[in-house]
Amino acid sequence: MKRRGFYFFFRKSITQRTGRVVIASLSVMLAVATVTGLMGITAGIKDKLGSELQAYGANLILSPEQGDYLIHDMLKTVSSLDSVEYASGQVFGRVFIHKESAEIIGLDMKRMRESGWRLEGSWPVNEREIIAGVNLKEVLKIDKGEGVSFQHGKKVLQFIVSGFVERGGPEDNAFIVSIPQAWNLMGIDGKFSAILVRGTSGELEGITAAIKNGTTGIRVKTLRQVAVAEESLLKKIQLLMILVTAVVLFAAIVSIMSTMGANVLERRDEIGLMKAIGATKNNIRFFYIVEAVLIGFGGGIAGYILGYLFAQAVSWGAFHSFISVPYYLVIVSIAAGMSISLLSSHFPVSDALKYNPAVILREE
Amino acid sequence: MSLIEVKNVIKEYETAHALRGVSMNVEQGQWLNIMGSSGSGKSTLLNIIGGLDTASSGDVLIDSVNIESLSEDELALFRSEKVGFIFQQSHLIPYLTAVENVMLAQYFHSMADEAEAEEALKRVGLGSRLHHRPSQLSGGEQQRICIARALINSPEILLADEPTGNLDRDNTKVILELLKSLHSENHFTIVLVTHDPFVSKWGERILLMEDGHIVGDERI
Repeated sequence: MKRRGFYFFFRKSITQRTGRVVIASLSVMLAVATVTGLMGITAGIKDKLGSELQAYGANLILSPEQGDYLIHDMLKTVSSLDSVEYASGQVFGRVFIHKESAEIIGLDMKRMRESGWRLEGSWPVNEREIIAGVNLKEVLKIDKGEGVSFQHGKKVLQFIVSGFVERGGPEDNAFIVSIPQAWNLMGIDGKFSAILVRGTSGELEGITAAIKNGTTGIRVKTLRQVAVAEESLLKKIQLLMILVTAVVLFAAIVSIMSTMGANVLERRDEIGLMKAIGATKNNIRFFYIVEAVLIGFGGGIAGYILGYLFAQAVSWGAFHSFISVPYYLVIVSIAAGMSISLLSSHFPVSDALKYNPAVILREE
Repeated sequence: MSLIEVKNVIKEYETAHALRGVSMNVEQGQWLNIMGSSGSGKSTLLNIIGGLDTASSGDVLIDSVNIESLSEDELALFRSEKVGFIFQQSHLIPYLTAVENVMLAQYFHSMADEAEAEEALKRVGLGSRLHHRPSQLSGGEQQRICIARALINSPEILLADEPTGNLDRDNTKVILELLKSLHSENHFTIVLVTHDPFVSKWGERILLMEDGHIVGDERI
């Protein structure tokens, strides 16, 4: 019966003060939306940036411990490991062009195109075409569409340069050929000089251990510059997001506290009266706690929806694709909404309960 | 035996003395009016008797229990069971109807009973205003709700602080007649504070206060 009485008066206080309750819920919703949105972005940005950072290239390089080459099966083994985004073989060799020694690098042409290499000219469209490093243009006095003759041992093969690549690395001083072209030139079918691995940032140590456990005769080396730069960038972005989230959360709590404070102040009379007619502090506090929980719950759910949409909008703007917002954020949002609401109303209610009812009730 | 015993009560604020050693007794069923000018300490005395305020020193015994030694929760229980308050402002919850305002006092005492609350309002002449909100009622009608609310839990003491202070003479008379009729029916004790000589004549005894002292005590 007592519980029914509480429900009756509580329902009355909510339904007859809808405007106030909605305003308080909206404040909580905005705070939760910002926090959820930023947390969603923070969680999703790692994957997104990881994909974007693939343009930086591989972050691990595998080479044979003994001998000159790795066999093709090793590429399959490494590709199948968890946290390996891709792995591709490379073939390094030297050929002669008019008695001048030149370096060739055999690469996966398809991946090169996808990685966004800067190219002057066009990508090879058949087995006769190759591309050259931009520095060779001057050194060998060659141009797009011109033929070059490679000699390796007694083998001589003719190719046409379809374009020039500029990477700012060793590729700029070499001819870039496809893997089959390299195998054909070097006469080493099915073997690689090295395997380049793109592992998920932050997982490189695990990948290295897995490769060493799963294979033999492979030396694993981290391409420190790329890996460290990526991890550092991700950490900085995540730290920035955490700081922004903390600042926004603090501002939101202050704002909600002032809304809740005004709400409680407005009901000082009511609190004084309840005390005068026999309510204990806990009786009164319970009304406000349940109201705060309700406001926090509603604001938390609405905030999650708004925050989810906000995170997706930001992701679409930055990456032209949606991010996957973790499901646990629903729980986090509701918990955050209720915590913000409870915390914001705790101090004003505690203050109000200290008022002397005699003083409040005597005021005009 | 006295229902209310006030023994040498002093109430000091930071810069002023509201009560300077007040002692008095009120018999069970008596209607006592405390009269005095503004600042004489009459409302402070009433609030201390009702457990809304505490004395700086001295004792207040209600039914032989010293309420100055009660904890906050015990005081809340005391207020819900022993006393009913009527204030100058009606202090009704604006979003509750007349009957719901009365039921709120029942809720904090034991449990809300709508039929009983309606009956209490009918007794104060508000049978046709049960489901009106305070804003839809006149000042006199609002005070009648307060009387019904104050008496709904059958308290032994009714404490009224300038209950007619905001009313015109006609409404004042209506409220006082209502109190007189309820008092003679139920024999509860009334302590009423007023500065109005007209109101002070409606009780059985007048206590005169001035500057925190009792300066007169007369039977009517």
